[in-house]
Amino acid sequence: MNWQKYQLDNTVLKATEALTLWKTERGVMEVGEDTLAIPIKLDDQRKGYIFHGHGKLLLDTIVETEEGAVGRPVEKEVNEPFLMLGDTEKIQQHLTTASKEDFTKIGYENQQEFVAEAEDLYDQFFERGRTCGRQSFGEDHGSVFAFQNKDSKLDVLVVKGSKMVYKAKGMVFVSSENKVVLKSLSEVVLSRNGKLFVIRK
Amino acid sequence: MVRIELSEDLKEEMKKLREEIESLKEKLRDATEEKLRRGRGIYIDIGNRVHDYVEDVMEGVAEGIHGELEKSIFIGPRGVKILRRKGEPYEREDEVEVSFPRVAEVMSALGQEHRLKILNELMSGGKYVNELQEKLSEITGSTLSSHLKVLEEAGLVVQEKVRGRYLITMPGRTAYKMARRVTRFLERRNQE
Repeated sequence: MNWQKYQLDNTVLKATEALTLWKTERGVMEVGEDTLAIPIKLDDQRKGYIFHGHGKLLLDTIVETEEGAVGRPVEKEVNEPFLMLGDTEKIQQHLTTASKEDFTKIGYENQQEFVAEAEDLYDQFFERGRTCGRQSFGEDHGSVFAFQNKDSKLDVLVVKGSKMVYKAKGMVFVSSENKVVLKSLSEVVLSRNGKLFVIRK
Repeated sequence: MVRIELSEDLKEEMKKLREEIESLKEKLRDATEEKLRRGRGIYIDIGNRVHDYVEDVMEGVAEGIHGELEKSIFIGPRGVKILRRKGEPYEREDEVEVSFPRVAEVMSALGQEHRLKILNELMSGGKYVNELQEKLSEITGSTLSSHLKVLEEAGLVVQEKVRGRYLITMPGRTAYKMARRVTRFLERRNQE
């Protein structure tokens, strides 16, 4: 069995400009300028970050069928710390060391407060097994995002190319080429090439 | 007292399971010790965890669907029979309580010529605002936006947040078809 070690870095960075962390036809994850970031490393290589700033998540979790569209899009202001594993190369060019003022801008007294929050999220994500290996990330290998929801649980988004899995409170959305599955509290919708199958609870 | 004799196969299976549990316990012990030794670092299996996770999610969805199907659909030698769930009375559509304000909101969204034209355009597939504008040149840009807002609030259309296209929803399609059917019926009655 192959065991690898992910670790939080000691340095705290900030975004020098607004960044698009992920974008496809179905979704966008953006963070604003001055967003704080702690790198997540694997064997001294950056594999992801824990961010905290003014982020925005848009997801078209809609199933388009011949019988009409089902589901609603997700539009979420992400003002809590969130985790990202994936392609870090483009991101790290737009990060610089954070200063004391940068912490206060986000609402922290000091760096330690932010680090403590980031560690909590890191523990929650990695210790619950929703993790993945070195071979699974990077530009061609997709990304994983984990957001803390109101119940202090994690909403998880896994993306790779046009494929997407989003699991949040009360919903699961899976899209892969021409196949889409949407499971909500009230119904399960399956669509393949526009053909629809709906089960209402 | 009843004595149950275990078959050889079952005994073998249980032995394997015990061995597997022991091996897993050992791995967990190793991982915990390593974690304690190295401080904050956490060792994780990088085998196929994302795939496992996605598979778990998919399995959950599949199980849910299967469960629902089992409750409602029976596939037998003579074909497929759709059944009511045990103990659950069939709820007729007209018995479902709907508030009058909500009905009025949906009907008033339908009750406007331009909005019906918008729905008609969306029946053939999702469209961007500029595509709708091209097709419905008699409507100004701002009026088109306000009509789309009314249709969206009523739940008859939905806008994609990333691409920005407008899509007719399943209820929107039904409502549009219903409006046309009722009108056609009335027209026919008037002609008789």
